[in-house]
Amino acid sequence: MTATTSVAQSPRRRFWGRMFKNPLGIFSMIWFVILLIAWVWPELLATHDPLQQDVTLQRLFEGPSRDHWLGTDQLGRDWYSRVIFGAGYAFRSILIAMTIAVVVGVPLGLFSGWRGGRVDRAIMWVNDVLFSLPIILLAMAVIIILTPSLDNAMIGVGIAMSTRFTRLTRAVTLQEKEELYVDSARITGLSTRTILARYIAPNLLSSLIVQAAIISGAIILIGATLSFLGIGASLDDPDWGVMLNRSRELFRVEGVWQVVPPGMALILTVLSFNLLGDAIRDAIGRDSSNNALSITKRTAVTAATTPHATGPDVVLSVRDMDVEFPDQSGRVSQILQGVSLEVRAGETLGVVGESGSGKSMTMLSALGLTPAPGRMTRGSVQFGGRDVTNLTESEWQAIRGKDVGVIFQEPIAVLNPAIKVGRQIAEPLMIHQNLSKKAALQRAGELLAEVRVPDPVRRLDQYPHEFSGGMAQRAGIAMALACEPKLLIADEPSTALDVTVQGQILDLMAEVQERHKMAIILITHDLGVIAEAADRVLVMYGGQVVETASADDIFFRPKHPYSRALLDTMPQSHDGHGELPVIRGMVPSATAWPQGCRFAPRCDFVTDACTNDMPALETIGGDLVRCVRHGEIQLVPEEEMQA
Amino acid sequence: MSGSAFFEVDDLHVHFASRAKLFRETPPPVKAVNGISFSIEPGKTFGLVGESGSGKSTVARAILQLVDVHAGTIRLDGDDVTNVPRPKELAFRKKVQAVLQDPFSSLNQVHQTRRIIGDGITRHFKIKPGPEREQRIINLLDEVGMSTEFLDRYPYEMSGGQRQRVSIARALAVEPELIIADEATSALDVSIQSQVINVLQRVQAETGVAFLFIGHDLEVVKHVSDDVGVMYLGYLVEQGDADAIYEGPTHPYTEMLVASIPMPNPIMQASRRELRQSFNNDAEPPSPARMPPGCPFENRCPVALDICREEMPEPSPAHHGGQVRCHLHTSGPELGGESVVEFIKTEARGQVAV
Ligand SMILES: Nc1ncnc2c1ncn2[C@@H]1O[C@H](COP(=O)(O)OP(=O)(O)OP(=O)(O)O)[C@@H](O)[C@H]1O
Ligand code: SF4
Ligand code: SF4
Ligand SMILES: [Mg+2]
Repeated sequence: MTATTSVAQSPRRRFWGRMFKNPLGIFSMIWFVILLIAWVWPELLATHDPLQQDVTLQRLFEGPSRDHWLGTDQLGRDWYSRVIFGAGYAFRSILIAMTIAVVVGVPLGLFSGWRGGRVDRAIMWVNDVLFSLPIILLAMAVIIILTPSLDNAMIGVGIAMSTRFTRLTRAVTLQEKEELYVDSARITGLSTRTILARYIAPNLLSSLIVQAAIISGAIILIGATLSFLGIGASLDDPDWGVMLNRSRELFRVEGVWQVVPPGMALILTVLSFNLLGDAIRDAIGRDSSNNALSITKRTAVTAATTPHATGPDVVLSVRDMDVEFPDQSGRVSQILQGVSLEVRAGETLGVVGESGSGKSMTMLSALGLTPAPGRMTRGSVQFGGRDVTNLTESEWQAIRGKDVGVIFQEPIAVLNPAIKVGRQIAEPLMIHQNLSKKAALQRAGELLAEVRVPDPVRRLDQYPHEFSGGMAQRAGIAMALACEPKLLIADEPSTALDVTVQGQILDLMAEVQERHKMAIILITHDLGVIAEAADRVLVMYGGQVVETASADDIFFRPKHPYSRALLDTMPQSHDGHGELPVIRGMVPSATAWPQGCRFAPRCDFVTDACTNDMPALETIGGDLVRCVRHGEIQLVPEEEMQA
Repeated sequence: MSGSAFFEVDDLHVHFASRAKLFRETPPPVKAVNGISFSIEPGKTFGLVGESGSGKSTVARAILQLVDVHAGTIRLDGDDVTNVPRPKELAFRKKVQAVLQDPFSSLNQVHQTRRIIGDGITRHFKIKPGPEREQRIINLLDEVGMSTEFLDRYPYEMSGGQRQRVSIARALAVEPELIIADEATSALDVSIQSQVINVLQRVQAETGVAFLFIGHDLEVVKHVSDDVGVMYLGYLVEQGDADAIYEGPTHPYTEMLVASIPMPNPIMQASRRELRQSFNNDAEPPSPARMPPGCPFENRCPVALDICREEMPEPSPAHHGGQVRCHLHTSGPELGGESVVEFIKTEARGQVAV
């Protein structure tokens, strides 16, 4: 469950935002704009006529001067103006070759990928043969058939380049056609042509643009090479390749300068096309920062005001934790506000709340893993009685590897597909417990047996894909248990698994807890799982703790309207087929918390008092509640009170 | 099956060919669906439950013409719609629509809500984009409880629940007779899941559309369904009245599913857990490529008989008016279609020392 309820930034805006943040992207875009102007309206930039020779023969082979910015060539023509006019030749080459490459390559790739089977194999075979031929060879072949000219050479280059587009388009089509949204389009009854043109092609566009940018660079280079070899543009044209060729002949006599203007233009252009391709790719790329556990540098953290839980059995204690995230425009949203919790050895703390309520973020931040660019701005964390609020990343690593085990929702995602399961379990043992490889592997086998993976020794030698979901989660638990942690954090450990397997995993966790007396934090949105496994429960809403209490109290005597509402929405709480109770509306986004109580817009008990100030987290007995009306409202029906 | 039902699946088989390997014998095909039959009446819901890999989605995809049917027939309104030929496909699509599992990937990210819902209207009613189509889209959004502000939203600008409502509106747009909901609420938070289920039920009450509701959570499936079928490794092991099956399952696997639903009540959950633990928890279902000759549930069944290892049980009548595939009803204790709950409780206690 990672449904984000917040309104995401539009990809277009994000794209340009990222392009303008990338210095290489800016450089290539500026160069590109200059070239475009040079192509469309060269007279605007040029200072001289590129063909105008110096009839006086006074000013040949000059270096840069005020009159001729880049000097003159062997006929006294202005280098700068010739280079400017050369841009037109370069673009004309790109235009011809690219048009052919795209017009031939893309439809072929779409067709091939969509059809699949034998047709696909035949097309790709021909394509691979063409692909393996040198591009220059194809260009020469076309020149031989037609007449030698740069334009005709470019037709050959276009055909050669079309194989790149066919490959790319086919790969994307093969992948996209398996996507659910394509199934949906077919179910709607849309024709194949519509699906290809309007569903697949737009998703293809970004990869094509990147590819086109990079190929454009290659086309210019090839065009120049052909001209350089004397089979492209004609000798007097201000084409960069031709110019380079002429200069080379005179290079020995007249010094190095003569190759610089056309050479630089060529290099800069090819380079900027490649940079542009890279920059577009980076700017389009999925938001990887959301997944990557890149950790922010710790900065000053405001101290907590609430005292920590004390006692020898307190494993983790968090007080008054705030976590903030700046968004793209620099505004700061508070993802967590005043979160406090503690968990003791042998105890299971259940954490519930809807998606986006901050359950996972709480755990990550408590362990010093706040994903960048987020940061903890207030609060205090103690682990095993030691203040760990301001630890460095390497200090944290020592604690996390040894004393904290983590189980994730997607077991398969945690395991590296390329490495045998046995080695993955053994590795941390070798690092943190200094075991030899052999001893670590043996211990890994014991661990797999402990989590009741059948035939553990053979399983050590298998790769993750040979494990079913349930078995992979067992292996994940084995890994988490490897160093006998004091704290086990399980973030939705059974949500992705079948109900029957979910039971097995819960049993297994109970069993290992019994044996090792560790503390468990169990994050889930399923109150049934909480009812089975949790001793105490922490209810989160809108980045805040709204209630903590014993499991029995949460289920039979909830104090916060949100706890009650969560219980009511479970279909298990409801007989018959009638309308299910719901919590109206949806979780607010972190960029726009409601005024006062964050649950107020969805609460059945809301009054004016609720929306004025944010309710404080009050201590009642040993429990916490964040609701201004908790004493006066009746959340448990009369009959249930008596039962 | 009488053959007069509105929608009917009769003895459906779907096989997936294994990939041929060079110089090696081609492995036998994977039998994903093995002889499944059920029917749905207008305005009613048939629920299909089972674990991942049991073949639920393959049944849906076969009906939706997304995979080839190996054998069996699918009938809608008396017409054979098993492998609909191209020219008739559009007419079929008009009658059968779907809401798919993943609210993230089942909508095209580059289209706004207006386009997502409107495409089907244009395609099936020949109404070009314009005021008439706009009004229809607005009505559909209203039906699934969304305001016009969502017309211009892209999928990534909506929450999971909102996207799933858009999916429902898209399905409703062509005014279908049958909607297949494949894990349509599974990816949603419980509170949002309830909202979406309420929308589905209200739509059914208003339009009389029939539903095939596929899920892995028996509790949810039971709530929305009139009849349910329980699938295990491609077989329908039990089917009948939803409430009666939930209260008195006649197949041990169905009982295992009931026992696996965690109750949001620590006291009730403690007894469910005990029941759950009477099943062989560590065994894995056999691979569909290597099916045992007998009952596929045998290695996890706490009350298996000797015959179970050798013979595949045939369907026999059950107390809930449907059928069950389990030897217990015809051999051994000869339960004769009655609930297995008490039998498992007494038998399994003796076997499993906790
Ligand atoms: N890398 C990030 N950058 C910015 N905001 C983030 C990031 N990761 C999470 N958030 C936001 O933090 C809030 C809390 O997210 P969190 O993942 O902790 O929720 P959760 O309760 O674990 O939800 P779920 O049940 O979906 O796992 C959400 O508003 C989410 O959008
Ligand atoms: S403070 Fe008011 S709005 Fe908030 S939960 Fe309590 S009663 Fe509801
Ligand atoms: S046929 Fe035998 S093994 Fe299969 S479910 Fe029935 S009793 Fe169990
Ligand atoms: Mg989470």
